[in-house]
Amino acid sequence: MVTGQGVVTPLGTGVEKFWSALKSGTCGIRQVQSFPIEDLYITIAGEVPDFDPKERLQSKALLLADKFSQYAGCAAQEAVAMAKLDVPLKDQAGYRAACIIGSGVGGLTTLEFSYKMLFKENKRATHPLTLLKAIGSSASAHVSIEYGIKGPTFGVVSACSTATHAIGLTYRMIREGLVDLGLAGAAEASLNWGATRAWQAMRVLSPDGLWPFAKKRNGTVLAEGAGILMLEEYEHAKARGAPIFAELMGYGMTADAADMVNPSIDGASTAMQMALDDSGLAPTDIDYINAHGTATAVNDINETRAIKRVFGNAANKLSISSTKSMHGHCLGAGGGIEAVAVLKAIEEKFVPPTVGLDEPDPECDLDYTPNTGKKREVNYAMSNSFAFGGLNAVLVFGPAPA
Amino acid sequence: MDEVATKIIEILRKNMKDPSKPVALETPLSELEIESLDLAVIVFDIEDTFGIEIPYNANEEVEAFATVGSVVDRVKGIIAETKASGAAA
Repeated sequence: MVTGQGVVTPLGTGVEKFWSALKSGTCGIRQVQSFPIEDLYITIAGEVPDFDPKERLQSKALLLADKFSQYAGCAAQEAVAMAKLDVPLKDQAGYRAACIIGSGVGGLTTLEFSYKMLFKENKRATHPLTLLKAIGSSASAHVSIEYGIKGPTFGVVSACSTATHAIGLTYRMIREGLVDLGLAGAAEASLNWGATRAWQAMRVLSPDGLWPFAKKRNGTVLAEGAGILMLEEYEHAKARGAPIFAELMGYGMTADAADMVNPSIDGASTAMQMALDDSGLAPTDIDYINAHGTATAVNDINETRAIKRVFGNAANKLSISSTKSMHGHCLGAGGGIEAVAVLKAIEEKFVPPTVGLDEPDPECDLDYTPNTGKKREVNYAMSNSFAFGGLNAVLVFGPAPA
Repeated sequence: MDEVATKIIEILRKNMKDPSKPVALETPLSELEIESLDLAVIVFDIEDTFGIEIPYNANEEVEAFATVGSVVDRVKGIIAETKASGAAA
């Protein structure tokens, strides 16, 4: 069961702010503010606009942490509050809780700053907290300390599928009876000069916007944030009177084992099929897919074909959208943020749009909910994450049990 | 063949699956079995070798890069532009 949700996104911090922006089709991609862009040709990104750590966080340890851990701390705080969980967890309860919070690259901005100090400014040493800030497991460690979570606690890494893998893994731990509840998701804060240079060199970024499934699409746009869910075993949630927002019903994961950048239809469609099989639902049951939809030339066609392979004729009745068109590609955090979009879609029976979709690519011919969101029955929904390296993870959510 | 062309062919060969294949100016890039990621590496190598910046996006079809010769011409054009703007500055 999902008993809590929290997000930090380029559309704002907090689930309500994020969701109202998605509903109205607001785009959070803007000119970069946080680092110099004079010598870059990619000058746009999805930066979080409203995050002052001093206002958002109480813990001194988190105030000294890298921004990716701070985003995780903030999203976890919202999820814990929403779940009405009595924290810090006491005694045995701590050991019955998991904290699986990943990141694509962890504290990359901390490393960039430290290396600049060493190599360019000829400083004698780096700041003593550099290592603790940089390690990819620091977000999960910080959050476990905040809430007294003493069970399985670590980060997972799978580039743009990170959060989805973290959520799926925690779900399986709960199903296996290893824990009663867990915080699961990911955080990313890797927008900086060096990373933009590295992405530029791969030639996959758009200089002017992220337009999934559109004919004019010309690449993805980097973004940052965090998306974290509180997952909880049904009886445990019921016993303590927790709010139940939805049920996580299925999880599928595969690897293409083919190419670092070119995705395969097999890998993506098999992960979707596995998630469907795991949930016990038929393709015709799914109402909405939050697509991976990165707006690269290859992803959007491949994903469309994979959906058609799994759903057959039912593909034409699906509502699909890529909310990345609004919040950008939040990399490791993407699947967590998008899972929250799916949960809100189920809760409010409203499908958020794909913005910038004025003229679709003829090879992308499904209903991507162009430009304006719409009211419709959303009982069961799927969230796709497909990462560099061909690492695929898919979740299926449904309504809370009556 | 001039120096620019020779260097570019050398860079292409480094990234080809089968470097023993013949490469001439009129050879289409599609015949060289270069994948998208290799192309990014090739563009990086060319930029580094000639000290230029090539506007190239893997998401767009690039007419200018149809054959080896068209790449050579495009690079020569950018070298000339870079020199001109350098002289002006």
